[in-house]
Amino acid sequence: MSEITSNILAQDSLSRKSLAFCGYTGYAAIILFIIGGVWLGGMLPPLLNASDTPSEVVAKVNENLLNMRVGSIFMIASFALFGTFGAGIAAQTRRFETSPVFSYVQLVFTAGGTTIALLVAFAWSLMVFRPDTYAPSILLMWADFAYFLAVFSVPLFGGWCVLIALPIFFSEPGREPFPRWVAYVNLWAALLFAPGQMVIFFKDGPFSWHGIVAMYLPFIAFFAWIAIMSWVMIKIANDENS
Amino acid sequence: MNEKSQAQSRIPGEPGIWAFVTGDLLVFSLFFILIAIGNQEQGGVFSSARGTLDLRFGLANTLLLLTGSFFVAIGVERFRLDDGRDNRIWFRLAILSGVIFLINKVFEWNAKVSDGMTPMTNDFFMYYFVFTAIHAIHVFVGVVILSFLFKKSQAPFTPETQRGLESGAIFWHLVDLLWIMLFALFYLV
Repeated sequence: MSEITSNILAQDSLSRKSLAFCGYTGYAAIILFIIGGVWLGGMLPPLLNASDTPSEVVAKVNENLLNMRVGSIFMIASFALFGTFGAGIAAQTRRFETSPVFSYVQLVFTAGGTTIALLVAFAWSLMVFRPDTYAPSILLMWADFAYFLAVFSVPLFGGWCVLIALPIFFSEPGREPFPRWVAYVNLWAALLFAPGQMVIFFKDGPFSWHGIVAMYLPFIAFFAWIAIMSWVMIKIANDENS
Repeated sequence: MNEKSQAQSRIPGEPGIWAFVTGDLLVFSLFFILIAIGNQEQGGVFSSARGTLDLRFGLANTLLLLTGSFFVAIGVERFRLDDGRDNRIWFRLAILSGVIFLINKVFEWNAKVSDGMTPMTNDFFMYYFVFTAIHAIHVFVGVVILSFLFKKSQAPFTPETQRGLESGAIFWHLVDLLWIMLFALFYLV
């Protein structure tokens, strides 16, 4: 075996491990969000409502202050992992591109998505930092800000999914970076994020930021999408090992 | 195995498109349930709001999508037969029906807004504007897909190309099916 070939294999072994690592960080992001956002932080299901008055927000935040603070720490850890998760998908796409257009654009969207997600956790943290010092309406604004960042940024997160789907569709048969069904899953996820933009019109009901269509659907779809993409990355890494 | 029996023994399109269709139908089922609950809880509001919709717009759009689906089906069938006849006209007509649907929709929305009806007017118009807008996004995506089909339909016949064309056509039929449900719930029930 030539030195060049063994080097390539060594690199391949590394890329397999890296891909699996990125996939596992997706799982970790989900677990951390379940602890921080679902169990402790009160983000999903929403502790606060878009229809709450500022004084109601202050009361709810004060009642759950410690949980929300600890939850914020878990949430920001979860959201930081979107970076590794997205980079893994881009790296796998890159392996099948001669000219790395889609993988680079995916990286841009990964960076944008990670930044926006981190800001969600920042907004949540600031809301619980000194709730009695801020004016009540500012607390409400932090809650609005957090949910708007999360669900109103449809072009970014939906665009990310579309940019994962397109290179799969455009690939020659048998040369797809991911199985073709993954492309359809990504398009479906993008579609599920879309109703999030309705939050700008409504403060109550299914299209408000605590509603079933504009909040629950995009949130659940987003973490289901991470779970599916993580599973696929790990499966590809394992299959190549065998 | 000849071509005809092959066509009979396989599922049209790629498996992934069926997963997508199932998923999309699940989401729209949620939308339909929400409309039905609103209709039950606020029967008076929904009934009077429904009366302000212009049935002609809805009917025209239903016919446009149904004929569009018919054109796509003929285009895919012509490709499958691979008899050398030009099938571009069918995809062109289907694209045209989608574009006219969207123009018609914009006129209809504009008329409603001019009459003072907005998504914030009441729950009926909230559902009407939001769900028809989500559907219109589907139509727009469908028109883009049909444009790809138009290009693909000129390629030499291969089973992969056939599956690609069928997948696009299945999406267009889904758009049609969703509209028929929305049409019934908003204009007729």
